[in-house]
Amino acid sequence: MSTNRHPIEQEELMAYLDGELPMDQATEALLHLELCPECQTLAADFRGVSQELMAWEVESPEIGIPSEINAALGDRLQKREVAKITSPRLENRVLTSRWVWAGALAIVCVAMGLKLLTSRNRNEDRSTAYLSMALIEQYLMPDRNAEIAMARSAAPAAISSDAKILVLGRQGYETAIEGKNGFVCLVERSWMSPFNSAEFWNPKVRGPLCFNPAAARSILPLTIKRTEMVLAGLPKAQMIDRIKAGFDNKELPAPNPGAMCYMMSRAGYLNDAVGHYVPHLMFYFPLTDKSSWGADLPDSPVTLNPQFQGGPEPITEFVIPVGKWSDGTAAPAM
Amino acid sequence: MTSDEALMLEFQGGSRAAFEELFARYRKPLHGFFGRRLNNPERAEDLVQETFLAVIRAASRYEPRALVRTYLYGIALKLLAAERRKFLTSSTLGQTAPEPKTDGTPDCVLWVRQAMEKLDSPDREILMLREYEQLSYSDIAELLRIPLNTVRSKLFRSRLALKSYLESEAKTNPALRASAGQPHPRRRGLQ
Repeated sequence: MSTNRHPIEQEELMAYLDGELPMDQATEALLHLELCPECQTLAADFRGVSQELMAWEVESPEIGIPSEINAALGDRLQKREVAKITSPRLENRVLTSRWVWAGALAIVCVAMGLKLLTSRNRNEDRSTAYLSMALIEQYLMPDRNAEIAMARSAAPAAISSDAKILVLGRQGYETAIEGKNGFVCLVERSWMSPFNSAEFWNPKVRGPLCFNPAAARSILPLTIKRTEMVLAGLPKAQMIDRIKAGFDNKELPAPNPGAMCYMMSRAGYLNDAVGHYVPHLMFYFPLTDKSSWGADLPDSPVTLNPQFQGGPEPITEFVIPVGKWSDGTAAPAM
Repeated sequence: MTSDEALMLEFQGGSRAAFEELFARYRKPLHGFFGRRLNNPERAEDLVQETFLAVIRAASRYEPRALVRTYLYGIALKLLAAERRKFLTSSTLGQTAPEPKTDGTPDCVLWVRQAMEKLDSPDREILMLREYEQLSYSDIAELLRIPLNTVRSKLFRSRLALKSYLESEAKTNPALRASAGQPHPRRRGLQ
């Protein structure tokens, strides 16, 4: 395979299949792979090797925590309690120090989360790879009422109680409750991540959000479209092509002025790296430079979310954290 | 779901429940880690316990600079290296490491083991960390203290070598190859 004929090297192709290429290179690899039979064969070979290795499973006995570990655990926790009782001043210092550390760690964790959320370089994504779609059952929520509640938790009750609620079924999103105020709340799944995200198929992802009326008209159709294509089993390359075509032929709308959504649920799970993240609002615009909002600049509370950003949806999405969860309780300090 | 890192911090703060949750999450993966590398289920379980004991002992020193997942496999790799050194010393004194148990082991598993044994040891470790522990390239580079590009190139070389081996085996034993190639519903392959 020469670089004259192939825009990507074989190693890069492998890295792409492993979800280890940054977005721009991944898109290039994806588009090339769709057209190159030689690379398709190599990709199939790599998949074959991976699949055959999976035959080697190791049986693990079902046991509880062994007595040695229990004893060591008890010993450690007991010593900690004793230290707390016998040395209150020291403990106070440690506690104070711990709170300082906890605060610092929280800041570091949030900063890391933001970086992960906004980084376009997926090499930095340290989460477990989810390399293909899991069984559909793993993405569905068996309890419809739980999904309705989770969707509503995306925004304060004053907004979500009158919103239309969608839930995910085997055929796509369906209306569970009709709304009155033009807002639409639902729980998104992992395939609303960037196409080259390592967690594109993470079945644990639950992203509750409430679109305002402008976003319900112009952003929600993207969620519906991607979901339909996923459930139809389309490969990523075809999904990307169809989304591009959808924007070209105006089947998919540009973001309406004022389009935004609430993501203030403490029940969500956005990905392995950030968990439920922090409560935030998201604002949608036609593709634009992040400097127009001062996003990602030092001390700026605004972050660019790479969810779309031309890959392929021509939409820019800015994120602004807020101080409270939708239930009014305080969120972690940013 | 609480992140591993948050659980570790809770455990540092004295939460038994947080430790129990980490134990529940990682006992089986760690058993698989040792089981594949030692072919000795009893010893594998011992080393799983030693890994968690090391976590308990070092809990106060844990800093969330790395993912808990990477931290645990870092401990596991050190224990594995010590275990191998022990057997190396024993073998020079006339003792031998136990033969891998093969009773009741499916042919396809034996065959995968054989294929892996044909790889150089460092290449095999990289491949296993990627395929079985599903670590990222950067995590593997960090754990093995080698450049990220080396991880990628060695992984590439290993996969090509295995592919070549698979093809030659398929010619000599097509039935075995077919049984090894059955998709497994609980694991994910490349996308």
